[in-house]
Amino acid sequence: MNKLKIWLICSFAGLLSGCDLIEYHPYVASFDGEKHINQKNIEKIEAICLDKDTIRFILMGDTQRWYDETEDFVTHLNTRNDVDFVIHGGDISDFGLTKEFVWIRDIMSKLKVPYVALIGNHDIIGNGKDVFLKMYGDENFSFIAGNTKFVCLNTNALEYDYSHPVPDFNYIEEEQNDTISTYTRTVCVMHTKPGDEQFNNNVSKLFHRSIKELRNLQFCLHAHNHRLQVDNLFGDGIIYYGCSCMADRNYLLFTLTPKGYTYEVVDY
Amino acid sequence: MKWWTIKIMLIPLFISTSIQAQDGYERKIEKYQNAWLKLIPRYSKLQFAGGIGMFSGGMGWDYGKHKCWETDLLLGYIPSFSHEGDNKLSFTVKQNYLPWNIGLGKGWSLQPLTCGAYINTVFDDDFWAKEPKRYPSSYYKFSTKVRSHVFLGQRITLSDKENSNRSMSFYYEFSTCDLYIVSAFSNRYIRPKDILSLSFGVKVQFL
Repeated sequence: MNKLKIWLICSFAGLLSGCDLIEYHPYVASFDGEKHINQKNIEKIEAICLDKDTIRFILMGDTQRWYDETEDFVTHLNTRNDVDFVIHGGDISDFGLTKEFVWIRDIMSKLKVPYVALIGNHDIIGNGKDVFLKMYGDENFSFIAGNTKFVCLNTNALEYDYSHPVPDFNYIEEEQNDTISTYTRTVCVMHTKPGDEQFNNNVSKLFHRSIKELRNLQFCLHAHNHRLQVDNLFGDGIIYYGCSCMADRNYLLFTLTPKGYTYEVVDY
Repeated sequence: MKWWTIKIMLIPLFISTSIQAQDGYERKIEKYQNAWLKLIPRYSKLQFAGGIGMFSGGMGWDYGKHKCWETDLLLGYIPSFSHEGDNKLSFTVKQNYLPWNIGLGKGWSLQPLTCGAYINTVFDDDFWAKEPKRYPSSYYKFSTKVRSHVFLGQRITLSDKENSNRSMSFYYEFSTCDLYIVSAFSNRYIRPKDILSLSFGVKVQFL
């Protein structure tokens, strides 16, 4: 009888500890399942694109609370065979809740092609920033696809009250001064672009000048505004392309060729 | 009538008023004491999980017809909130409603339904109840600090045979919070099991 009781208690405790139903607080930044996704997927992207002269990638973002739409996006994209990778432009979550990150991660993990995710302003509130760092990795990162380097930056300055370097000019400088010879051009990716309420607009021009010193900057990518945007923001021909949110059921498809690049809006 | 007879006749009048005054004062004191006595918590509770901490403990009051209403004040402990070692405290006001009570014999009774709501606030300076001023107005339209939860559950109670005011109850509850409901509302992808949280608790009634 006593053995049975002990067994019952042990199995009950075991059941609980492995159970998703136990939650200490919605914002507790711990979760099960895959972590360090960006680093793992960057390795895949760099392997896929190695020695390729034409690269096709997708910019999407703002999946916040649009789970059904994101699921449809993944289903649609898995029917295509001509895309090398996907960039999620940030705002993975809406409230910065841990479960939101897990839900989107589980949907995006079904993609056949690798993806990387940037941090959006909604991903910073609550303990979101800690979840992002664990689940995806550094807030600033770069990778090389074929002969193009992608520099991905945290630009959500309003979230930090200027207590944290956003954008991080030291990081940009490191990227400017790298000695990697395998790429010839750069694309700069961010969640929110200069001029948005979220950006540190005191340094907008400085930021633009700074990223222009990245090797042969082609164009910039962003999300955040929930609408398609094509802006020659500083009048110098460096275009800022903004993708819409998942509710609009479209994405931007870029093709990088040896001579230049093209883009199109694809509805799904 | 002589003066002394009038005096004698007045004595009982004085006595009765002084007794009345004594009565009134005592009643007033009693009322006053009873009012304060009502503020003494009637039970304590300890809860595991439920979105308000790993363990939350506190006191509460039961009242109403058949004591079917309960109000708890709980202090919760959240280990490793944002990262390892970052432990936080939280505070919860919980309102319970137990419409039915079924006697099971030998001092046991079952409350087949417990339901209610609780409001929780986490003690963390990075969390806000009202958006900080740096944001444009209505930027996020919600609070990271204050969460509202609703719950459904069941309870089983063992009463002290010698003192029916003393008892011990065990309960479990399924709960969810406001932001989860909002997320599930517009998405087929989010199923009830994704947003439900299970909690357990024990209540010790001593008054």
